[in-house]
Amino acid sequence: MSDNAISVQHLVKRFGTTTVLDDISLEIPRGQVSCLIGPSGSGKSTLLRCMAFLEEATDGSIFIEGSPLGFVYDGAGKRQRQSANDLRKVRSQIGMVFQQFNLWPHMTALGNVSAALRRVRKMGKAEAEEKAMLQLRKVGLENRAGHYPSQLSGGQQQRVAIARSLALEPKIMLFDEPTSALDPELTGEVLNVMRGLASEGMTMVVVTHEIGFAATVGNQISFLDHGKLLFTDAPSKVFAKPRHPRLEQFLDTYLDRGASTLI
Amino acid sequence: MGFDFDVILSKQDQLISGIAMTIFVWVVGTLLAALIGFIVATARRYGGVLVDKALTVPIEVIRGTPFLVQLFLLYFGGPYIGLSLDALPAGLLALSVYGAAYFAEIFRAGYQSVPPGHVEAAECLGFTRIQIIRNILLPEMALLVIPPSVNMAIILLKETALLSLITVPEMTMTASAIGSQEYAFVEAMVLIALVYWVLVELAGLLGRFAEKKLSRYRLAKA
Amino acid sequence: MSWKLFNLLLEASLMTIFVSTISILIGLVLAILLSAANLSGIRPLQWFSKFFISFFRGTPLLVQLLLLYNLLPVIGVQIPSLVTAIIGLSICTAAYQAENLRGGFEGVPTGLVESADMAGFTPVQTFFHIRVPIALRLTLPALINEAILILKASSLVSVVGLIELTRMAQNLVASTFMPLEIYASAGLIYLVINLVVATAGRQLERRLPGVGSK
Repeated sequence: MSDNAISVQHLVKRFGTTTVLDDISLEIPRGQVSCLIGPSGSGKSTLLRCMAFLEEATDGSIFIEGSPLGFVYDGAGKRQRQSANDLRKVRSQIGMVFQQFNLWPHMTALGNVSAALRRVRKMGKAEAEEKAMLQLRKVGLENRAGHYPSQLSGGQQQRVAIARSLALEPKIMLFDEPTSALDPELTGEVLNVMRGLASEGMTMVVVTHEIGFAATVGNQISFLDHGKLLFTDAPSKVFAKPRHPRLEQFLDTYLDRGASTLI
Repeated sequence: MGFDFDVILSKQDQLISGIAMTIFVWVVGTLLAALIGFIVATARRYGGVLVDKALTVPIEVIRGTPFLVQLFLLYFGGPYIGLSLDALPAGLLALSVYGAAYFAEIFRAGYQSVPPGHVEAAECLGFTRIQIIRNILLPEMALLVIPPSVNMAIILLKETALLSLITVPEMTMTASAIGSQEYAFVEAMVLIALVYWVLVELAGLLGRFAEKKLSRYRLAKA
Repeated sequence: MSWKLFNLLLEASLMTIFVSTISILIGLVLAILLSAANLSGIRPLQWFSKFFISFFRGTPLLVQLLLLYNLLPVIGVQIPSLVTAIIGLSICTAAYQAENLRGGFEGVPTGLVESADMAGFTPVQTFFHIRVPIALRLTLPALINEAILILKASSLVSVVGLIELTRMAQNLVASTFMPLEIYASAGLIYLVINLVVATAGRQLERRLPGVGSK
């Protein structure tokens, strides 16, 4: 098997006549943190959502740990939808963390984290909750287990959401702007949890506006602009001057946010 | 002039069986209506654009015509297309289908109220579609669909009175019969009006109770 | 089914439209009076208003109509079935409209009421010139909805002997034995009337100016 956890090949995504992703090819190395950056509307979130099959690509393929995701090609080379069962199997290797947390409001933190263990992994209640508690401890929220999402801060909700994804022990974690919906003072606790995960060797793909995080934690940075992948490289090379003119322009808009000092 | 309720109350056995029949068709009719309505709304959500469009037609037709006309069409017209039903099954079927059109809209609004991200999160974790409906969508929409559902149940209770017009022996029919026999029609109607009123108030009370129990964990909706 | 039969149904539907329209309007006036009673601060009036709304919303229209139809002769009132039908429908819709208006009155911004008070309006003037127009505007969608409900509910006045669309259909079925065609046609006519009302209502809703910021 190759060293790549995810392989994206010639991916195209169109909404009507607008091309959102234009022939994207990208390898996500195993055990490393890959960051997708770019201006709003560049297609980075769409690319990530394609990796979770939350968006169906118009053309091209994605392989998760060597297995095709969402579509398979039959003998005649025709693209066909994967069966729901096969899709679930491939997807089970991925955990997804959303910008809006998407915790289920009718379940406690513990309920959110243990739900998939019980329904999908068919564990008993006690065993599932025990495992779920381990994950809540990992994100530092074991004392909030009985709280409903509406009783938690944004940062806490996002940490519960991370614990919920980790509970199924995925090989790859996808993060879709995990701190964008948070007040600035709450981003730190979420980024710290992510740093911890990275240091454990989790394969991570992170769509982010936190250039500082990308520069310090990322192993590889991909820059997207207008649906095109302009380049993918190590942070030291990406941010070394002279920079790509589009990246320079993009970073300028972040200077006010103090990002440049971190690079 | 002078009203005499005693003659009506002396027929309490008949009255009670009429009340029991009303409660029976009401409860069974409402449950069937909710079930069919839920299935229709689910088919519209997951069945693709064509199914969605096709199902709006019967829903709008049922919602746009009087229940009485639907009832007569089924009961008196049914035999001409090989659908000969006795009064009770015809009444139950008409009531369920009529209510289903409204429940379908209630559940459609319920489905729409759940943020797509909550479903995506479950999909990513490997939930099947049925698990998502049962564990995420239904509990999340519960708070929203309870008030209109209770309202609909109350409307259906009042519509059950129309079944008397196709001779289902529910309480309006029973009371009319006793009232005519005993020359005490007004008294009979007043009495059952009170029974309907109590049932309606009880249903409303039950609905508010359920709503209160459910809302406990949504103090501040996130 | 012949055109002759369909024409008879169409003619009868005019009675349906007439009875419904009159009842909606009388019901609206009654509903405003019920609201006034409720907002008057006078306990007995409030109790009456609450009882009226709860009772007529809590019992089937069919039972109300049967009661009215049989009660009137007992207490010595002789009126044509058309009047009985209008009384029955008006009272019933008044209760529903009053309940709808309650939400509308709650939505009237307090600032508007206060400024009317400051301008020297009497409470009655404030009620009719400020609260009622705004509450009506706020509850217009509910009023249109109620109009459709009453059009459908008017099918029940056949039990008091008035020949409107449903009763005409029943009569025609009795003489022709074509229930399928006749009831389906009656249903179609109701559907068309309701579609027209709903569409007109939406147009009206769009044309009228809104009421400030909520």
